[in-house]
Amino acid sequence: MFEGIFTGLSTALMPFNLMMVVVGCFAGTFIGMLPGLGPISAVALMIPITYTLDPSSGIILMAGVYYGAVFGGSTSSILINAPGCASTLVTTFDGYPLAQKNQAGKALALAAYASFCGGTVGAIILIFAAPALASVSLSFQSSDYFALMLLGLTSVAAFAGKGQVIKAMMMTVFGLMIATVGNDVITGAPRYTFGQMDLVDGISFLLLAMATFALAEVMMTILRGNMFSTSETMKPVALSSMKLSRSEIKEVAPTVARSSVFGFIVGVLPGAGATIASFLAYGLERNLAPERLRKMFGKGALRGLAAPEAANNAASTGSFVPLLTLGIPGSGTTAIMLGALIAYGIQPGPRLYVDHPDVFWSVIISMYFGNLVLLILNLPLIPYISRLLSIPPQILNPLIIFFSIIGVYLVSFNTFDIQMMVFITLIAVGLKFLNFPMAPMLLGFILGGMLEKNLSRALVVSDGSFNFLWNRPLTLTITCITLVILFLPSLLKLGRQMGVKMMSAAD
Amino acid sequence: MNLTKDRFGGLLFLLLSVTYGYYAADIPLLPRDKFEPFHAQTMPYWLSGLGVIFSILLIVLKPATVAENEPLLKSNILLMLGLMAFTFIFSVVLPWLGFPITTSLFLASSYWLLGERRIKILVFASVPFALIFWLLLTQVLDVYIAPARLIFW
Repeated sequence: MFEGIFTGLSTALMPFNLMMVVVGCFAGTFIGMLPGLGPISAVALMIPITYTLDPSSGIILMAGVYYGAVFGGSTSSILINAPGCASTLVTTFDGYPLAQKNQAGKALALAAYASFCGGTVGAIILIFAAPALASVSLSFQSSDYFALMLLGLTSVAAFAGKGQVIKAMMMTVFGLMIATVGNDVITGAPRYTFGQMDLVDGISFLLLAMATFALAEVMMTILRGNMFSTSETMKPVALSSMKLSRSEIKEVAPTVARSSVFGFIVGVLPGAGATIASFLAYGLERNLAPERLRKMFGKGALRGLAAPEAANNAASTGSFVPLLTLGIPGSGTTAIMLGALIAYGIQPGPRLYVDHPDVFWSVIISMYFGNLVLLILNLPLIPYISRLLSIPPQILNPLIIFFSIIGVYLVSFNTFDIQMMVFITLIAVGLKFLNFPMAPMLLGFILGGMLEKNLSRALVVSDGSFNFLWNRPLTLTITCITLVILFLPSLLKLGRQMGVKMMSAAD
Repeated sequence: MNLTKDRFGGLLFLLLSVTYGYYAADIPLLPRDKFEPFHAQTMPYWLSGLGVIFSILLIVLKPATVAENEPLLKSNILLMLGLMAFTFIFSVVLPWLGFPITTSLFLASSYWLLGERRIKILVFASVPFALIFWLLLTQVLDVYIAPARLIFW
């Protein structure tokens, strides 16, 4: 393991890769600050650039962008009460009230320190957790992989939120359907190409990610009319001192420690991600706080700001565990990274640890550097970076559209891809308007090919029988977890209803 | 039964799943495939079935109380469609007019569509940007970009 850590250190410490971390953090902070554009869009926008880099540098850049975007999202949450992404929504609860009390500088500093601690704790646990899980998963067979992918897809849908589970499942199936377009990977038979040569290779992952996240998000901003309000009503508040007193540090330190570990654990769960981690950490801290401090939550409580910030950064790190060790992304952003790695010809999973230790370890090590960069370079520069928020939206939005389409064009040099993007963006906007979540679709699309390959292998080995799902204890365990995740919310609801009925009958 | 957003989405998805399943029959199979437990049509048929099941569930089940979106303004819809049209035109014109001219036109017209009326901004935020970006790609990053067909005919 230590040999691997040194390999990762030497790769991550290469001047070019260090520069990638810095560039990634800056670009991510800027994109993440723009309301509506979150880490998924930020990472998607970076993919075309990473295609010109070697895998380690590319993935380091994307990890930097990921961190930067989460940090940028917190900044806009605190300064203008507009979260850049869902995972920083909770930051607005106490961050913006602090900014309104002329403590914006303190709020930003606390958010940065909490994020740094969350990310650091996450990176340290990751160093030990990832190789352990990777060595266990080396014994996985195709049936286990199939069950794991099913678990990943199901849990993303199960955590989609109240009333959204069926929609998320539908979107997963939709993503799997899109993945079948093009020549079949096993037999080479053309599927759903309708005689179009441009569809023989299937739909590009980059095209789909850009269209459904970057382009569709800009279009939704325009549709909702938000772009017209950005420049007029969302004026950033003035920054003040960034210093925290000793008593304030003493107050938030236990919160940060608890939320970091808690956030990491939630982040590891496939599908849970940083958003759920930040909400749960906030709720946990509010419940743990003494009565006097509990009243402050929602009105500018330091604990209320530190908890979600530490948790969402630790969860972002945690979501790399299933990606790097099992090849199953834990969030929408890591799903995009998975697609980018596959485009490099690198298959994340248990073999990544053995076959590409430089990529595996450099990603983990660079996460720590990313946190350092955010703290040392980005925090002092926030007053200047936040000025970018004043770029008029009528200029900024066309530029984002341009970067999205040109990013896809520069990979394929095929204008058909831009036309396809327009078509997919219109569908994505329609689906967003009908409240269908996009991340399960992208995850279904990315895992579709692997899911089909592993299912095919498992079925051939078991002679067409589905008993492979329960023949091996490991597969059976994963299948059971999948079923529990899928049906637990319904069973709990049923239990609650029965409990209420029994109570009323007893009365 | 009201036609809520969820049910409308469910109906659309049902239509998609049925059509997807219908076209699965067009996927060519190898001669031995019929005796294999898994072939090129298997996954599409299963996905089509799953799609139908989920769509029916969404149509039949009681809709969840999700906050309704604010009604969209017709002018915003037209703006969005306009930008999409410009993007489509960009893809058609790009090979003919070349990268710098098409990009400048696309950016300037998009700024204008979104409400920017100052000529200075329209010109200076598009033409120099397109030229610098083109130079960066071709001269610094050594990316080959095909010349305009109309100009270099």
